[in-house]
Amino acid sequence: MNDRLDNFHKYLTQKAGVKEEDYNAFLPYFSVKNYQKGDIILSKGSICNHIFFVEKGLLRLFSIDQNGTEHIIQFAPENWLLSERESLYFGTPSDFHIDVLEESIVVMLMQDFIPKASSISPEFRNHNEFILQNHIRQLQQRVNLLISASAEARYLHFIKMYPDLTLRIPQWMIASYLGITPESLSRVRKGLAEKNFK
Amino acid sequence: MNTKNIELLAPPREPHFVGDGFRVHNFIPSGFRMDMKRMDPFIMLDYNSKFYFPPTDKPRGVGVHPHRGFETVTIAYKGRVAHHDSSGGGGVIGEGDVQWMTAASGVLHKEYHEETFSKEGGEFQMVQLWVNLPAKYKMSKPKYQGISNNEIPKVELSDKAGIVEVIAGEYQSNQGAASTFSPVNVMNAKLNMDGKAAFSFPSHYNTGILVIEGSVRINGEENAPTNHFVLFENNGNDFTLQANENATVLILSGEPLNEPIAAQGPFVMNTHQEIVQAIEDYNMGRFGHLED
Repeated sequence: MNDRLDNFHKYLTQKAGVKEEDYNAFLPYFSVKNYQKGDIILSKGSICNHIFFVEKGLLRLFSIDQNGTEHIIQFAPENWLLSERESLYFGTPSDFHIDVLEESIVVMLMQDFIPKASSISPEFRNHNEFILQNHIRQLQQRVNLLISASAEARYLHFIKMYPDLTLRIPQWMIASYLGITPESLSRVRKGLAEKNFK
Repeated sequence: MNTKNIELLAPPREPHFVGDGFRVHNFIPSGFRMDMKRMDPFIMLDYNSKFYFPPTDKPRGVGVHPHRGFETVTIAYKGRVAHHDSSGGGGVIGEGDVQWMTAASGVLHKEYHEETFSKEGGEFQMVQLWVNLPAKYKMSKPKYQGISNNEIPKVELSDKAGIVEVIAGEYQSNQGAASTFSPVNVMNAKLNMDGKAAFSFPSHYNTGILVIEGSVRINGEENAPTNHFVLFENNGNDFTLQANENATVLILSGEPLNEPIAAQGPFVMNTHQEIVQAIEDYNMGRFGHLED
């Protein structure tokens, strides 16, 4: 095993329950890349050929609107998977960008990783089904929060999901993810401090 | 005399920027054989070697960020820094001054080049140290000691060798200006060419020096050039410095706490659970609020 891929190996063997020999059979279907802060992994208009597993570091999936404003769809810190699903599965040019927020080690899962790994390992197939359902659940919750919840409720949900990101990214990115202005995020944080600071 | 021998002479590592205002060489904890345990209770040492910052209207620095579980000590050699924290501490430190901030249970703070200095630009040179707190003080109340140079005791050395500024600890029965939570010695030796100074610390204290200006000969046998860090073995008590040219040397020696260290980003605690708690407390506003 490549000992640089501690997290990826642990994720598959411990979380997904993949057997060691099956993990070895996965090897032809992924590669590993190192990225520097600021690198762009995927840009709008290109085809996404990989699912990205973050071994170390932090990635971001975002769109840019007509006014040039960035809107963050998802962050992916260690042990998260990230991809542009439409482009990956339907071969359409990507609507989104993926860039690198911290120096990262990324496991690049090839397009046929999921079908190959699923045919090699029933445990992986079950786990993949589970994470897909879980991902849909998260997206449902996210849509619901965006259309119905207060800024504070969105922020509280964010820190539960990504506890340490508040220390790793600037406030405006959190605001962008939450769909609020940086000023209103500052008000939310100030309000929490007034409630909780003794 | 029971000589403290040199274990390691460490050159400065490639500098990196902290925020946009501090261009630092890290010696602890990323230096060779210099993890958080080796110089315990000194768990972080960043050194902004002399660097010219051009004039700017927007002060450079580091925005609001939290700390918990230790003390940050900033020693200014050139340039001026303004600091504000959520416990109400704040002020400006300039050449020769020291800021000793006890984050303890938690503060938010920000550090920027002082406004006039930013506008005029100039040479900037500082050390930032993190001094770990004993477990029983990690959740004590935050505290701020702004120590101006005239408050720091200066010990005149014999034969016009120079002076020793006692920031913390004790030198020749002179007590340092800062109060500390465990036995810690922090001092500047400002030596004239050929001037000699002798130091003595218990052998189990972790001890090192950073050459800020000039170069010095240690124990009469090894030269340490500018911007180099010298780590001593934990075997003897005494060492001497002799200036090859006019020199300024920062001396660090402290009794190791020998407690478990769990560290993540700006938090240094004893267990992982305490780190998780620190992150939650920060997110929930329990560190207070400080405007950017």
